Amino acid sequence: MIIGIAGAGGDGVISAGESIITAAALEGCHGIMTKSFGSQIRGGEASCRLRLATRQVLTPNGPLDVAVALDWEDFRRFGGELPVESSTIMIYESNTGVAPDKLPLDGVAPAEVFSVPITDMALKHAGTDKAKNIVVTGLLAGWFGIGRESMLAGIRKKFARKGAEVVEGNARAFQAGLEFAEAHPLRENRKLLAPQAGRQANLLTDGNDMCAAAAIFAGCTFFSGYPITPSTEIMQFFDREIWKYGGSLLQAEDEIAGIGAVVGASFAGKKAMTATSGPGMSLKTEMLGLASIAELPLVCVNVQRGGPSTGMPTKAEQADLFQAAFSSHGDCPRPVLAPISVGDMFGITVEAFNLAEYYQTPVIILSDQEISQRKETVEPIDTSAFKLIERRRPTKAEMVKYARFKLTESGISPISQPGMVGGNYLAAGIEHNELGRPTASGEMHARMNEKRFRKFSPLQNRRDLFLVEGDLDATVALVSWGSVAGVAREALQLARAEGLRVKLLVPKLLYPVAEPVYRDFFASVKRGLFIEQSFQGQLYRLARMYVDFPPGVKTMAKSGSNPIQPAEVLAWLRKENS
Amino acid sequence: MMTNTEPISTCQFQAGDFKSDLKPIWCPGCGDYGVVTAITRALAAIGRPPHEVAFISGIGCSSRIPGYTTTYGFNTVHGRSLPIAQGIKLANPDLLVLVAGGDGDGFSIGGGHVAHVIRRNMDLTYIVMDNQIYGLTKGQLSPTSKRGRKTATSSFGSLEDPVNPLLYVMGYGASFVAQGSPADMPGLAHLIEEGIRFPGFAFINVQSPCVTYGEEEEQLKAQKARIQSLAAIGHDPADRALATERAREYGTKLYTGILYRNPKPPPTYGQGVTERQQALKKQAVACLDILKRFVPGH
Repeated sequence: MIIGIAGAGGDGVISAGESIITAAALEGCHGIMTKSFGSQIRGGEASCRLRLATRQVLTPNGPLDVAVALDWEDFRRFGGELPVESSTIMIYESNTGVAPDKLPLDGVAPAEVFSVPITDMALKHAGTDKAKNIVVTGLLAGWFGIGRESMLAGIRKKFARKGAEVVEGNARAFQAGLEFAEAHPLRENRKLLAPQAGRQANLLTDGNDMCAAAAIFAGCTFFSGYPITPSTEIMQFFDREIWKYGGSLLQAEDEIAGIGAVVGASFAGKKAMTATSGPGMSLKTEMLGLASIAELPLVCVNVQRGGPSTGMPTKAEQADLFQAAFSSHGDCPRPVLAPISVGDMFGITVEAFNLAEYYQTPVIILSDQEISQRKETVEPIDTSAFKLIERRRPTKAEMVKYARFKLTESGISPISQPGMVGGNYLAAGIEHNELGRPTASGEMHARMNEKRFRKFSPLQNRRDLFLVEGDLDATVALVSWGSVAGVAREALQLARAEGLRVKLLVPKLLYPVAEPVYRDFFASVKRGLFIEQSFQGQLYRLARMYVDFPPGVKTMAKSGSNPIQPAEVLAWLRKENS
Repeated sequence: MMTNTEPISTCQFQAGDFKSDLKPIWCPGCGDYGVVTAITRALAAIGRPPHEVAFISGIGCSSRIPGYTTTYGFNTVHGRSLPIAQGIKLANPDLLVLVAGGDGDGFSIGGGHVAHVIRRNMDLTYIVMDNQIYGLTKGQLSPTSKRGRKTATSSFGSLEDPVNPLLYVMGYGASFVAQGSPADMPGLAHLIEEGIRFPGFAFINVQSPCVTYGEEEEQLKAQKARIQSLAAIGHDPADRALATERAREYGTKLYTGILYRNPKPPPTYGQGVTERQQALKKQAVACLDILKRFVPGH
């Protein structure tokens, strides 16, 4: 079930959505909620899109089953983000004065239309129009069977601080919404299926908070960064938590200083992280090169937004893959990972720290605005199942004539840290020999470059960092990554439910390109589609640098802020299978 | 907790214990030779073993300096030694962290970081080898070059006034500001030692002449005639107003010694971190349980 709610900034639209998804999570249901705002800091229009189900929700995208307009002008500003179709149930504020048969929906006739005196009900029962959103939650709970007890409990808890009168007023407003819904039944029952009894509550969070929590779980004790939309919540979570774990945080004076302090903390032996978005990533590139040549572990999160330059700060895009793989001068390899959901962000972040420590390298997590800021239910994660890797520290014997950059078979050298007796060495951005001493030798430079690439060769076989779904011998295939992978997964499920034979590859390790994984996947494929939220289709182009694809493999690439719909992908699959 | 002033080891060190066998790339007669000697003498006087010292630099002739010591060193990228050093200090507060670089590194490409390390009062010692020229790239204008100075990029003379490093750091509220010269070796070693012992950010500007692209009047021989010891003229380093006045004379007079030492320095960033960690420690849930933060209604 997909619900879209839009209103003015102060209408509490987001808060209504949060109450609903929280109730769903408590009852063991699943959901994803995305928010969208006008560009104003305060005021302006606000909307949320909620998708609820009894199973894991893969993408918030799709046409609305239910639309709520507290104000028509605000609602219409979200255009394609809140698409009303002939199957949609439309609920709107009657004091907008719009007649039910004259809705400003460009000729679309919704399945059912309810004009509800939302403001009047709020004023009557709670004594304030601030309770409009509470009336809305009551309406939705009444019509669609979303956990009314949990929601009522949530209301009581939320307003407890404000005294009994406010609590009761809001409870009455909620009840009024419920009763209105019951008095005006739907023509067709659209209730969300009740979750199975005894299900445990799901976790509820967004990608940014999940990333920071996973980092602390992985042993990260230092964060430094600079506020930038849409990544700032990562730093904010660290600020609330990191001190409790004996760690520290530095809000840096700029993006360069942010990653610089992280490079320093890593040199000093600690797991450290920074987070940013496109413009900040551009500034950090020189430090990525330094961490590569000095072979220092660090994790850098890029929460992608629309680019180039300031671009579209509050919209998701997947156009920073080239930058993640190739930015910084010189032959400068580094692993790039991308989570596909909020829940997946946990494992990806832990993996990023493990790769950084094991390979002594910067690792980039390519998140995106959608994953970072959408609220999503996550089934409880068994954290004890995750292994944590620490950097390879020198043995006592290796500290005699210690060679920090020893040319080993694996390419991984023992790494000391200040404070270790006998481990003293010079870390440097300048090319060095095995002892860490500066060198101008072309031969040594070639050997060190080769080492810095060779050490990543085991990543070619990390099949666990790829998701393969569907019919393994299918000739029609999809490839997708990041938040868009959810769209592709849903399209795959819909297609297979129709009896189409199709498979899907979702790389979570984007770079280095794991050539054997792509080759094996494409062995049976005649027609394929890379589905990406960027103008160029960057994964398609990046992978082709390393792997020859069958000629029928193409891209569906769209610039950010135009969500790709599962139905579009399904339409392509039907065409290819016909 | 250990502080920089307490030798943790009873064994005594000689300056030689801090000198590496790497041959400097510097030209014969370069002022930086004297700086590395002064640093090794200061470290010996402090008495912490080399493995407890992290020596961080940027890019430039002078930034090669960590490699000429036996400490842990990090020769980073141009202008970014201060952020990296701050990360090191926060990650391991027990380390003695030295930072060094040239005037271009500190006041041109990296100038933006100086204000922030000062306002945080990070417990670092920052030594700038100020030679008023870009030596590594062979003689271009630097941020401390005098107006009118002819260089490879100012063939007809510089059109800019120089940065005044002393006034710059005084302006941002630095608590320890000093100037030295390799022309006075014992004095320079002493200043560096005092800077290390100072609880907070210590800035030491060193007039370290470029023997190849520098001017005659900047060379050590000429400096010896110009040096005015602040101690000898009865300067009171606790007097901020006087220190600021004397900082203004950078470029006309060559004062050496401690220009300003805040008698009541603000707490260091590190102290704040430690206090906060201790205050919040009991609120920690086990790392394994951190996801409990996401249980609805938590």
